[in-house]
Amino acid sequence: MRRRLIVLGALLRKELLVLFGAPMAYLTLALVGLITALLFFDHLRVFNQILFVYTSNATGGFELGTLPERVSLQDQVFLPLMEQLSVTLIGLVPLVTMRVFAEERARGTDELLLTSRLSPAQIVAAKFLATGFFLALLLGVALIYPATSVLRSGLGWRHLAAVYVGLLAIGLALGAIGLACSAFSRNQLVAAVSAYAAAFTLYDLGWLNPFVSDRVARALDAISLQPRFAGFAEGIVSFGDLAYFAGVIAVSVALARLALDLGKVR
Amino acid sequence: MQQEASDARRATAPTGARVEARDLTRRFGERTALDAVSLTIAPGETLALLGANGAGKTTFIRLVTGFLLPSAGEVFVDGLSPVREPEAVHARIGYVMETSRLYPDLGVRAFLRFAAGIRGLAGAAREAAVERAVARFDLASVAGRRVGNLSKGYQQRVSLAQAFLHDPPLLIADEPSSGLDPLQRHEVRETLNALRGRRTLLLCTHDLAEARALADRVGVLREGRLVALGATEDVLGAGDPLTLFHHAPAPETGR
Repeated sequence: MRRRLIVLGALLRKELLVLFGAPMAYLTLALVGLITALLFFDHLRVFNQILFVYTSNATGGFELGTLPERVSLQDQVFLPLMEQLSVTLIGLVPLVTMRVFAEERARGTDELLLTSRLSPAQIVAAKFLATGFFLALLLGVALIYPATSVLRSGLGWRHLAAVYVGLLAIGLALGAIGLACSAFSRNQLVAAVSAYAAAFTLYDLGWLNPFVSDRVARALDAISLQPRFAGFAEGIVSFGDLAYFAGVIAVSVALARLALDLGKVR
Repeated sequence: MQQEASDARRATAPTGARVEARDLTRRFGERTALDAVSLTIAPGETLALLGANGAGKTTFIRLVTGFLLPSAGEVFVDGLSPVREPEAVHARIGYVMETSRLYPDLGVRAFLRFAAGIRGLAGAAREAAVERAVARFDLASVAGRRVGNLSKGYQQRVSLAQAFLHDPPLLIADEPSSGLDPLQRHEVRETLNALRGRRTLLLCTHDLAEARALADRVGVLREGRLVALGATEDVLGAGDPLTLFHHAPAPETGR
């Protein structure tokens, strides 16, 4: 057991060294910070305009305490920002995961890993953990501005924590899908494009509803990522939603492991 | 008394692993890369596999390490199958790959620490193994530099160093001096030569001089088939050895 942890830890450390040894990681973090800042201030600007209209005499005038319930930081800033952040993850996560296995294959370093004391399962686990760590950091950066709206709107830290858990769950699910795509390819571009295709397809299958029966529509809804995130955005952490994300991760990680095994019989 | 103690030490000291391939076959689709190859490498022996590019040398190595699964036949390292007991087999193997198969973004010491870690070494044992390797392969002057910024000769030293970290009984070297200048080639040969008799060495090369200098026995692969196997001087001694790659006698039997 101890030796297993040693080899797993060695690969995890290497993954983080390679990840943070390259400018791509810092550029991604900076990009996320910039995107969330721009989105946040854009929503805040619109919110302020709405406030101005409601509180100006032009509409008869509202006192701040008597604004309609839906005119709030939560509805105008926080929730739409979280929705956009979950979509932003689809755009960013494949960029993080595309190199994870494809680069090893292209360089031939997968042979070093697969002839060491690491098992294929440990290789996938270490790479998933490294990806998860980076995503957790990325979401930490992304939540700096939304956290201020939580403080101001009185939503509370529990709500923010629920959203963070939801974003992390969706990020890990997308990360696991990206890892599986990377494991089946030796070309980073192919890995990224296939991860985008899989993520966008799975994100929201609701567009198919007009063409299918109610029963199938419910099933499609149940396997879509976005509806599962909606609960977290409202501050509700449900076991069913967590189990769903865990299932997506488990299937994707199993596929990544299968890709390593298939490499031996190619 | 002293002689007895020395004999006892020699008897218990690791002398290398035994490798045995039985009708080892590997197909890639319609193409047969390795065709029913059977051979045994005794503990402490150095066997050079010779052959032109695409003859099946690297495929043979990959079947021994378990990186590829055989289409037919079996291979064992100390009686262990890389298919069924990969971890135990990998613990016995040090593998010198081409220099391009390193992590160019890592520093030399960081890479060696990582390589020691994935061989199960940790803490003080890992640090000691890394320092031994740095000293043994004269890497101290470049230990802080990135692997990708090193000359090919130094990269090959790093590749050799990572294979020695866990002191494996079987060392596998795939074209260890390919692309090196004569001086670097000499250094690699000296390093491998120092292992003779103490470790089993499976060497894949198309450099006949390297095979002559290092190998106890030589096997010649042609289009995936083992067309010659015998003592180095017997196989490479008579006539133009280059013709072996194209017209070779039948392999010896036994062993």
